Amino acid sequence: MSTIVFDKERVSELRKQKIQHPWRKRPRKFTFSVALAVLLPAAVAAGLLFGTDIPDPLVMILVYLPLQLVAAALAAIVSKGKHGIADSIIYVFAIGGSVFSLVILLSLIFTLFVNGLKAFSTQFLFQNNVYISPSTPLDYGGVGHAILGTLLIVGISMLVAIPIGVATAIYVTEVRGRAVPYVRFFVQAMSGVPSVVAGLFILTVLILTGALSTSALAGGLAYAILMLPTVARTAEEVLRLIPEDLRTGALALGSTRARTVMKVVLPAAKTGIVTAIVLGMARVIGETAPLLLVTGYSDSTVLNPVSSPISALPTYIFANVDQPYPNAVTRAWGAALVLIILVGILFVIARILGRGKVK
Amino acid sequence: MTVTDPVFRDLHSAATSHRGDRIFNRTVTALAFTALLVLAGISIFLGAQAVPVLAELGPSYLTTTAWDLTSTPPDVGIWGMLYGSVLLAVIGLLIAVPAGLLLAVFMVFMAPPKISKALTSLVDLMAAIPSVIIGLWAFYVLTGPAVEWQQLLNEYLGWIPIFQNTSGNFLGTPFIAGFVLAIMMIPIITSISREVLSHTPPELINASEALGCSLWTMLRYVALPYGRGGIVGGIMLGLGRALGETIAIFFVLKIVFEVNWYNIIESGGGSVASLIVSKFGEANAGFETQLLLAAGFFLFLLTLIVNVIANLIVSRTGRMQR
Repeated sequence: MSTIVFDKERVSELRKQKIQHPWRKRPRKFTFSVALAVLLPAAVAAGLLFGTDIPDPLVMILVYLPLQLVAAALAAIVSKGKHGIADSIIYVFAIGGSVFSLVILLSLIFTLFVNGLKAFSTQFLFQNNVYISPSTPLDYGGVGHAILGTLLIVGISMLVAIPIGVATAIYVTEVRGRAVPYVRFFVQAMSGVPSVVAGLFILTVLILTGALSTSALAGGLAYAILMLPTVARTAEEVLRLIPEDLRTGALALGSTRARTVMKVVLPAAKTGIVTAIVLGMARVIGETAPLLLVTGYSDSTVLNPVSSPISALPTYIFANVDQPYPNAVTRAWGAALVLIILVGILFVIARILGRGKVK
Repeated sequence: MTVTDPVFRDLHSAATSHRGDRIFNRTVTALAFTALLVLAGISIFLGAQAVPVLAELGPSYLTTTAWDLTSTPPDVGIWGMLYGSVLLAVIGLLIAVPAGLLLAVFMVFMAPPKISKALTSLVDLMAAIPSVIIGLWAFYVLTGPAVEWQQLLNEYLGWIPIFQNTSGNFLGTPFIAGFVLAIMMIPIITSISREVLSHTPPELINASEALGCSLWTMLRYVALPYGRGGIVGGIMLGLGRALGETIAIFFVLKIVFEVNWYNIIESGGGSVASLIVSKFGEANAGFETQLLLAAGFFLFLLTLIVNVIANLIVSRTGRMQR
């Protein structure tokens, strides 16, 4: 047993010292060796890539990767000792894997803008495709009819999927019936239905039986199958965040269950529900396979949602992709750019609305 | 005569005793079962189309690989397509699992918070890119470099059977299609792994650091075992998406009615979903459409099984963590 005795003079002396955080300090040797380990292999690889005609992938895999691993391991030994080796290797691989994914994403977006902007002009956004052959110059024709078609089809699917999706979420979070685990299970299983199967389902039930011709309505119903699980799951997450006090408070004031949901819970979750809707739209807007099966194709502007074939942006892209004419391909890129801009707008809206609400 | 004393009515019975509430409850409950209705509808209606096909062709529809309607009886089977779908998904997984996991590890344990947030947005954006656009990009941009990679693989590793290519045609190979699938799976695997890894209890991480563990040791013995279930579930969800993918594969894969067992850089392969789209345009309204609908039915079964298993794994680990 020992007693710790505080020496008051020593304490005041200690207080005068500056707090140093020795554990945060990075020795200069560390910074230097990391910089060297990053720059040296990169310099060697760059030299080989531009100086010789050894194929690029071989340089990257046979020269750069081993060199980078060895350099990182040496830097680790210098700064942290043997135990740092495994860390340095996982750092190299993690950064490499992240860069790989980012390069793909950036290449996608970059080529989309470079190629898509060639087709862009006002008439590309507003004209339709009547009298346009694949070789027609880009001064004529556009995707106006396809944009309208996409909006029409997505609008129809929203009319169907949003009430059902929100009702499903209300069942899970507000009504809390006995079947809640089953309902959640079915919604999850439904979110895995491939889009082509959704199209085939509408095709068998409505089109092959003759109940409906290929039309925007059929496309909207197929989209609704894909949109419903997204809306239901996101809305459920949002309704879960509404404080229980609001519900009990409304009930204590004498409100009925239905009124509590309609007048208190849903208004409180308004922005969240809109986020759910927007995410559902973003989920379906680019789906191509169901439209190929159930909406047909049209070059003219169609406003009749029930009985005539209609084009949408995805089917327009699909029809123009493997044409042997560069102008048709450029049109496909242009339509893809319009589509990704629509997705981007929805995405930004969801981000702004969802800020601070849903994680 | 019974008058229920309001004091003794609990909240639930109060909620159902009012007429408006009863109507509300029943409507919501009925709508909540739409998901079940749709799933049942798909099974019944597509299943009903599969019955005459199986009656006509027998199990050979699932075990042969051919699409010849002119002979009698028609020589048709989707085995090569089913196998092809799985092969493409496996190639995709081999690329997407390491890439997605490493990206998730980087986001959770290595990157500064700001970069991590930006990466989260980018991954979400990647998940939102429609597959027709990924297909367009793959068709015009990816195939160039991919052919070069495949030529190198064949030149230097051609002695391994999977990298053999005797035709010299490197377009429309399972490798390219699998790579495209990987691009679609990476965001799914990354976002679920990130979610799971970021829920590793901080006290476990702090404890391992206090014991002197390096980052690698912590990952190996704490974070990865802890998140294993969720990560596996995320991978299965990615797999479900890959099996159902249609359009992007249609652009980059040459569909052939032979089983391409393992020559992943040889032109030609199979995929059920793409088969449906490629044959639908020219299919007559009768038997051939039925054949495609039956193919859709088996695709639905395959993805349903994968997804149900995935969701069970994810929800079970979710419950463990709570």
